[in-house]
Amino acid sequence: MTKVGVFKLVSFLVILALLTAICVIEDRLVAGSLMEVKNYCYAIELASEENGGIINGEVASLVDNLEVSWKENEGRLCFMVNHKSIEQLGVEIVRLKTYIDEEEEIEFFTSLEIIKHYVETFQHFMGASFHNIL
Amino acid sequence: MLTIVVRAIIIYLVVLFLYRLMGKRQLGQMQPFELVLTLIIADLATIPMAEVSVPVLHGIVPVLTLVLLHFVLTFLSSISHKFSSFLSGKPVIVINPNGIDYKALKNLNLSVDDVFEAIRGCGYFSVEQVQYAIMETNGKMSVLPKSQYSPVTIQDMKLEIDKSVIPVNIINEGRILNNNLEIAKIDKTQVLNILNKAKIKKIKDVLLMTIDKNGAVYLQKYGEKYQTFQTKPLGKVEE
Repeated sequence: MTKVGVFKLVSFLVILALLTAICVIEDRLVAGSLMEVKNYCYAIELASEENGGIINGEVASLVDNLEVSWKENEGRLCFMVNHKSIEQLGVEIVRLKTYIDEEEEIEFFTSLEIIKHYVETFQHFMGASFHNIL
Repeated sequence: MLTIVVRAIIIYLVVLFLYRLMGKRQLGQMQPFELVLTLIIADLATIPMAEVSVPVLHGIVPVLTLVLLHFVLTFLSSISHKFSSFLSGKPVIVINPNGIDYKALKNLNLSVDDVFEAIRGCGYFSVEQVQYAIMETNGKMSVLPKSQYSPVTIQDMKLEIDKSVIPVNIINEGRILNNNLEIAKIDKTQVLNILNKAKIKKIKDVLLMTIDKNGAVYLQKYGEKYQTFQTKPLGKVEE
């Protein structure tokens, strides 16, 4: 095989490896990030049920953790996903904190439901599925 | 704006590298699948360049995928003649000794005017001069003229002439090309001697200097007419 042939073969393999790596990383990153948000949502619901409302340290701490975790994940997701598609989730998470401060329980749970809805929707359009391919 | 500048540079470099990787075909020499690839890549590359909310990877990943596909198709074409014909089509004879093959023209969606245009491009102004015209898979027309209209060649005239040699650029726009010195098997001192002979003092005054293996020198100073002269034959010039 000539030098050019070897170079092309190596390039082919490198590109193939790169594409595979990107696809795997994206899939794991998306699944991991969304699962984390979902788990925080359930934990917040549980904490608010156990403590009889949203005005307590545990819920506030969980919302803070959710915000920190989402910011980290959002930064990573921006390498793979259109920023505009995921920004609304961050907005809803910030709203949760405001609702705790203003003691607006109904709005808080509405926002929590919206966050869960976004997570479900993101799983549909970000992950690799037959629907997305077509 | 800085983001757009950096993104444009990244995408430009990636696309440039990938095109170099795919080969040096000119636009007019492209096979249909290569043309499709070029059009899609051009379109894909511009999306993340201008749209900041779209990750650069959204432009690069599909382009890399297409290049990968191109490699596979090219490889399959090289090992299978049938696949190559399926992908790029087959050359079609549109003019044969009986004249224009109208059926072939219709299959190619060509008109008689298109054929005239193509054969004129090859230097023939009458169908009568053409023995065969073949529409190649890259869309170019190849023409074989009838014997009486073929240009006379050296072989026809049975002449003995020296082999053509490629001159090597030694000085280009005032800069000496060291790699070419090695190819021409001469050194800088010999170059300076040649310049002295032409009454040129500095290398940077030279617009172009070439030399071939027979020692024929072409020398042009900035703003002056070129001069040619013969020096003694140098070392073997690589052709």
